[in-house]
Amino acid sequence: MSRALTRLLDFDDQYRRDQKQDQAFLHRRDRRFAQQQQEQGKPLSVPAWLQALHALNDQRRDSGPDVRLRRWRQARWVFAGLGAVLGAAFMLGLLVYDGGRQINLTLLMALVALQCLLAVLTSVQAWLGWQPWRGLFGAQADDDPLASLRPALSARIAHTGGLLFAISGLLALLVMVVVQDLAFGWSTTLQTSAEGYHALVSLLAQPWQTLWPEAVPSQALVSASQFYRLNSEGAVSDPALLGTWWPFVLMLWLSYVLLPRLVLLVLAGLQVRWQARRALARHPGYAPLLYRFETPWVETRGEEEAPRAPAEATVALSPLPASSTLIHWAGAGMRSGAVVGALSRGPGPRQLRAGGNSTLEQDAEALREAGQRREPVILVARGWEPPTGELSDFIMDAREQWPAGTLLALVPLADEEGAALTDRGLQAQWQRFVERQQDSHLLLCAPEAQSDNTPVDADHGR
Amino acid sequence: MQTMDANDTGKAADSLPRFAVVGHPNKGKSSVVATLAQNDSIAIAMEPGTTRDSHRYPMKVDDVTLYELIDTPGFQRPRKLLAWLQGHSLSASDRPDTVAAFVNQHSDDPRYHDECELLRPIVAGAGIIYVVDGSVPYNREHEAEMNILRWTGRPSLALINQIGSDDYSADWEAALGQYFQIVRRFDAVRAPFEKHLDLLRSFGELAPKWRETLDAALEYLQALKFGRDHQALEQIADALIDMLGHQETARLGEHQDGRPLLPQLRQRWQAWQREREQRQRRAVEDIYLHRRLQREESDLTLPDESDLFSERTRQLWGISKGQLAAAGFGAGAVGGAGLDAVTFGHSLGTGALVGGLLGAAGSYFYSDKLNKVKVGPLSGGFREAVYGPLKDPQFAYVVLGRALVHWYQVSQRNHAGRDVLVVTDSDGHWLDVLSRGDRNGLQKSLQALARRRFDPSKRQRLIEQLELAQQAFAQWQLEQFKG
Repeated sequence: MSRALTRLLDFDDQYRRDQKQDQAFLHRRDRRFAQQQQEQGKPLSVPAWLQALHALNDQRRDSGPDVRLRRWRQARWVFAGLGAVLGAAFMLGLLVYDGGRQINLTLLMALVALQCLLAVLTSVQAWLGWQPWRGLFGAQADDDPLASLRPALSARIAHTGGLLFAISGLLALLVMVVVQDLAFGWSTTLQTSAEGYHALVSLLAQPWQTLWPEAVPSQALVSASQFYRLNSEGAVSDPALLGTWWPFVLMLWLSYVLLPRLVLLVLAGLQVRWQARRALARHPGYAPLLYRFETPWVETRGEEEAPRAPAEATVALSPLPASSTLIHWAGAGMRSGAVVGALSRGPGPRQLRAGGNSTLEQDAEALREAGQRREPVILVARGWEPPTGELSDFIMDAREQWPAGTLLALVPLADEEGAALTDRGLQAQWQRFVERQQDSHLLLCAPEAQSDNTPVDADHGR
Repeated sequence: MQTMDANDTGKAADSLPRFAVVGHPNKGKSSVVATLAQNDSIAIAMEPGTTRDSHRYPMKVDDVTLYELIDTPGFQRPRKLLAWLQGHSLSASDRPDTVAAFVNQHSDDPRYHDECELLRPIVAGAGIIYVVDGSVPYNREHEAEMNILRWTGRPSLALINQIGSDDYSADWEAALGQYFQIVRRFDAVRAPFEKHLDLLRSFGELAPKWRETLDAALEYLQALKFGRDHQALEQIADALIDMLGHQETARLGEHQDGRPLLPQLRQRWQAWQREREQRQRRAVEDIYLHRRLQREESDLTLPDESDLFSERTRQLWGISKGQLAAAGFGAGAVGGAGLDAVTFGHSLGTGALVGGLLGAAGSYFYSDKLNKVKVGPLSGGFREAVYGPLKDPQFAYVVLGRALVHWYQVSQRNHAGRDVLVVTDSDGHWLDVLSRGDRNGLQKSLQALARRRFDPSKRQRLIEQLELAQQAFAQWQLEQFKG
């Protein structure tokens, strides 16, 4: 089987394997191959690509033919064997000569013409892609890469059988010529003169007229060879003369049976190769492969981030301690009366500001002032913004400056109007922040609804 | 954590455009990087404000880096950092060196870990992309950060990212203009691809030496987008070829009736179709590098109501009987016109008329025709019961319409998007955007697919037809959006 077929099947196999890979991988792999070939001045071709992939995957091709081609190969052998047997049988049957009457050249020529016609029809059918015998192969797989090549492959098999038929027929003819005294003659019901018949055989003998003049029957031979079955007395004056037809018969068989089969077999082989190449070029994996060869590999993705699950945190909100000291971190909720009302005990709470656009000196002043009040401090922050290092530093500074045991209630808000944070993710973020501070007097609290505002004693929250 | 090597400093490093994306925590830095680097793992991985190390995302063409984006942690202690810088600087001329000195001095200080991570690439020569959230009002608390960045003396661009629904971009623009060379608005989640390119082009404006490289990078990105659209189209074409020509078979005894097999074969056929469709979806998502996409297609979650094979789905995605008949009329008329041509016009145009009527009648008839089990000839004591392919022309439009909706959403989706991709219904029809000739061509190509043996040579033609359909669909979507 031709290399083009093996290549097509090999390509199809690789295409199926590649379908399990992602496009990025394929592009990188094939672009790299294309660049390497270019750098080394080697051709960029599908066979080279397949070879490189086989080498990389340490794949060794089986010594035998592809299993999908085995059926076709077996069919070819069967047809060849059948052709050889039938060819010999055909010729022996044709040349049976019992001395009763001559071997009819007209019949022989008609059968040669039939052989020639069958050969041509086989090729035409293959070129047209007509498959009247399709049912013989059973159900055809949807994804058979050889589907479009079936007519050509079948024609090649038929021509192989035909060629063996012609060769064995030729050999049988030669054997019969050697071992028997064949006497050829011509007979027809039609009113044909010997001149007319001579013109016909001369026309048929045109191809070898100059090559082998002895194989062109003369007018005298034609006239002497006509016979009528009823004319039992019409004995031939020179029986040896009738045997001189054999070179003509030999060349007739060679030129109109064997040679056409040989030529058409070669053409069928070329057709298989050409169609295999065409099938490869039309293969759904071919254009994408060329695209991957030609197109630079563009990578923007960089490193892959592994999904990071945040550390587990069980949100434990503490009751809001009673306090009238509020520190608004970065001004969170400072202008909202609702926030102040919900967080502080009693009218006129002390509202301090730190972080954000305050200076570090202002932060220090807010700390000093809050510490002087000797009561729990409520630190209000924007819950939707992640707590920063500055907030952490502020809490640490507070702990250093304030009297020991001063409660600090951290209250992240859901909005500037003082709504409690309900988003579990954000709550967990603040819970983790509180845990990182490792400060037992730091509480995570939520603003209470104003109607339910029943501040707890300082110790209650512990 | 990225460490600096000797190559990161000096001229060589300076010639490669590098951009450190910096800002306050949780203002969308990672989202911007996820979109520009087309890496959805960034957006998925992050918990807001938890980026602690800087991460590099080089844009490479055949392993040659054209530019690099660096995602950095947010500022944690900007006021203290600025105070440190002010306390160690003598004049404006030594400011960049003072920032470098800060990084050197605090590289092992865990308190300034984040600041060192974000400043290190800038000190090494990276341009600054400062990201703020334009949906919250401007306030001066970011001024310390902006001052620090100004101290580095590096080319800088401010990016107003729109996280929420409120828009204070104008205020931000006015304020940021005082600190940064260029100010741009960019919605990391919703900005279309053209805006990504515009933004990258702006990066090139930061330094003349970067412009050429970035322009080249933009060309590659543009080509990459076209290439992906085409690859997606090929995936759709292959899925259509497979789905429209698919058959399910079962073996029957010589005298066994094939009709009872219908439900079983039909079920197998539908399951196969759905699996093939899902494979096509995943392939398209892979082409556009959406590897962590969560998708929800209404029909799959509501099998009774809007399944692929339900009447409602056909109404939504297929074409109406009238449209189908019209398309069939057109296709038939083309065939009839061919007859006229063969007879050198002697049929006086009746070929086109007859062909058109036959095409229209055929389409109308088939639009409601249900598929049946066909039983093949006896072979080896068995017969083959075959279900499919479905000859209903609407089925092709159902499959194609759904595939195009999915393709459009995936191709337009930014990699910062974290929401579930919902393949939505639509009340109009994109086929109207196609010209009559293109509609006929598409109809013929789709009809060819329902033949048992699809001629591979027609695949290219199908892709060309689908390309027109793809363009029409995108145009229709755009019009829907504008409308």
